Amino acid sequence: MGSIEGLMSGFQVALSLQGILFVFIGVFVGTFIGMMPGLGPISAIAIMIPITYSMDPAIALMMMAGVYYGAVFGGSSSSILLNAPGVAGTVATAFDGYPMAQQGKAGKALAIAAIASFIGGTVSVVLLMLFSPLLSSIAVSFGPVEYFALMLLGLTAIASLSDGSTLKAFISATLGIIVVTIGIDGQTGTARFTFENAYLLEGIDFLIIALGLFALAEVCTLIFNRNEAADKEKNEKIGSLKLTKEDVKEIKGPITRQSFLGFIIGVLPGAGATIASFIAYITEKKIAKKPEEFGKGSVKGLAAPEAANNAATSGAFVPLLSLGIPGSGTTAVMLGAFLVLGIQPGPLLVQDNPEVFWGIIASMYIGNVFLLILNLPLIPYISKVLTIPRPMLISLVITFSMVGVYALSFSTFDLYLLLIFGIVGFLMRIFSFPAAPFILAFILGGMMEQALRQTLTISDGSLSIFVERPIGLTLMIVAVLVMTVPLFKKKSWNPAKKKTDAA
Amino acid sequence: MLKMIHRKIALVLIVFSFLYLLMSYQLPEYPYAIIDADFVPKILGFLLLFLSVLLFLSKQKETEEERKKRNIPKADIVTLLVVCAFMLVYIFLFEMIGFFIMTALFIFICSWYLGYKRHVVNGIVSLSFSLFIYLLFNYMLQINLPAGILPF
Repeated sequence: MGSIEGLMSGFQVALSLQGILFVFIGVFVGTFIGMMPGLGPISAIAIMIPITYSMDPAIALMMMAGVYYGAVFGGSSSSILLNAPGVAGTVATAFDGYPMAQQGKAGKALAIAAIASFIGGTVSVVLLMLFSPLLSSIAVSFGPVEYFALMLLGLTAIASLSDGSTLKAFISATLGIIVVTIGIDGQTGTARFTFENAYLLEGIDFLIIALGLFALAEVCTLIFNRNEAADKEKNEKIGSLKLTKEDVKEIKGPITRQSFLGFIIGVLPGAGATIASFIAYITEKKIAKKPEEFGKGSVKGLAAPEAANNAATSGAFVPLLSLGIPGSGTTAVMLGAFLVLGIQPGPLLVQDNPEVFWGIIASMYIGNVFLLILNLPLIPYISKVLTIPRPMLISLVITFSMVGVYALSFSTFDLYLLLIFGIVGFLMRIFSFPAAPFILAFILGGMMEQALRQTLTISDGSLSIFVERPIGLTLMIVAVLVMTVPLFKKKSWNPAKKKTDAA
Repeated sequence: MLKMIHRKIALVLIVFSFLYLLMSYQLPEYPYAIIDADFVPKILGFLLLFLSVLLFLSKQKETEEERKKRNIPKADIVTLLVVCAFMLVYIFLFEMIGFFIMTALFIFICSWYLGYKRHVVNGIVSLSFSLFIYLLFNYMLQINLPAGILPF
């Protein structure tokens, strides 16, 4: 099936009544959850997974894609209105978005954010559509060696690029793979680390990890700050949504440039919305004629990271859809959502489930339109979510997480596990161990182990197989470099530090 | 020596990696596999051990930001533990009493404990949210949550 035909059939799925309804629900719920302080796309997707259990896979995944970019956008809105970024990817949005809101131009800021997101998202969906099948056709020839190398690269990249200590990120990733070794080994049937517990034989479900490490850990932080915010009624006056001609002229350049750049960064393993938005902000500030305006409510400084983070969001789908390998914590959870529905993304997805592949792409176009329609007029109402009292919000998030996990296995044992991983996530948070490498390692761990053992079985235990395949070897070398260079460099790349320079 | 927090964490991780390695070496052998089930766990165990030793030896000082994140007032810890206890009770009684009653109670009590003062609103929200989720899962999504002592 050619791209055009494929896309047409995708639109047929996406534009069905059901399709539109669920993309709408996805975008709406995503925006809603993403707006809540601290709850980002990972929590949003994880919370929504139970809803999809009995749904048609194509429709369900279109909804999930909607949740994903809705959550990214929701984060921007709370950045602008409250200077409280819901997600790391929208921290840069607050630099100029919040000053604009303080100047009474919140409406304009939201409009710029919505337009920049729309363009960034749309440009990158077009690129996604062009690149994914291309990459898929190359990836069909990949064997376990290449896959292992690719996954290793993804894992080392996210560990090196996550904020804070690189060493801690690697420890976090290692622990993630260790957790996945619990359960029956797929190749020999040996029960590993199950402590004679029948519930552990099938291993720990990723939803437990995702909800524990992200949603519940975030709840702990919410509990500490429960008396802040909520009372701060700042978003009364949104102001006009209109843009002037000068504004349009100003933001045209940054949006175009950062849509492309954001996409490329999104495709790269380990990078993603956060890094894309910071790079966008910094480059635009560097090339701007009046850099001193940045940080004081510059429309450029707002448009650039917004275009970039949405472009990166779709860019991250390229490796996920065409290789079946997630490059970030969020796409790792997305992969989990795919697997729950019995869809294996990867080079064969376009052939085996074209309706899913093209449906998702088509839904992204529609989702972007919805984001624009939904967010421009509805923002003042949606932003009411920020006034939900924190104690209530905390209780609701906890119950929703527990229901989701229970609906997965119908066993309360999993609920205890959820609580344990919530505590683990909280401890990781207070001791500054990043959680994203953990979840990515957990998702990739099983596949990596399988690929590694297949590889070594093919070669009869000889390690030379890694040197003999050129693509695999190149990827391995890059992975090792990505791993070792930051470990021995004193200063690691740290968005938090950049933030203080940039702000 | 152990005053630095990262050393304490590193020690815990080192102990953990030893335990994990110990268990990996006790995994039963499967005679027909070239690469057996204990292969990857052993690699991981040694990797974690190596990384933890690096962490122990690392001289990187804790930043002010990190220190702030770590210092949590006692009152907050008590609150957290109480919420955890609520969750344990909830999980324990979940299947016996049933989803609807337990969830409504949990939301009401937890929100009240965390300082939500409008009891009527709280009651309405906890009842309607639980009912909504219950109906959504049982009737629309065909996922049966435990009814417990309620007849429906």
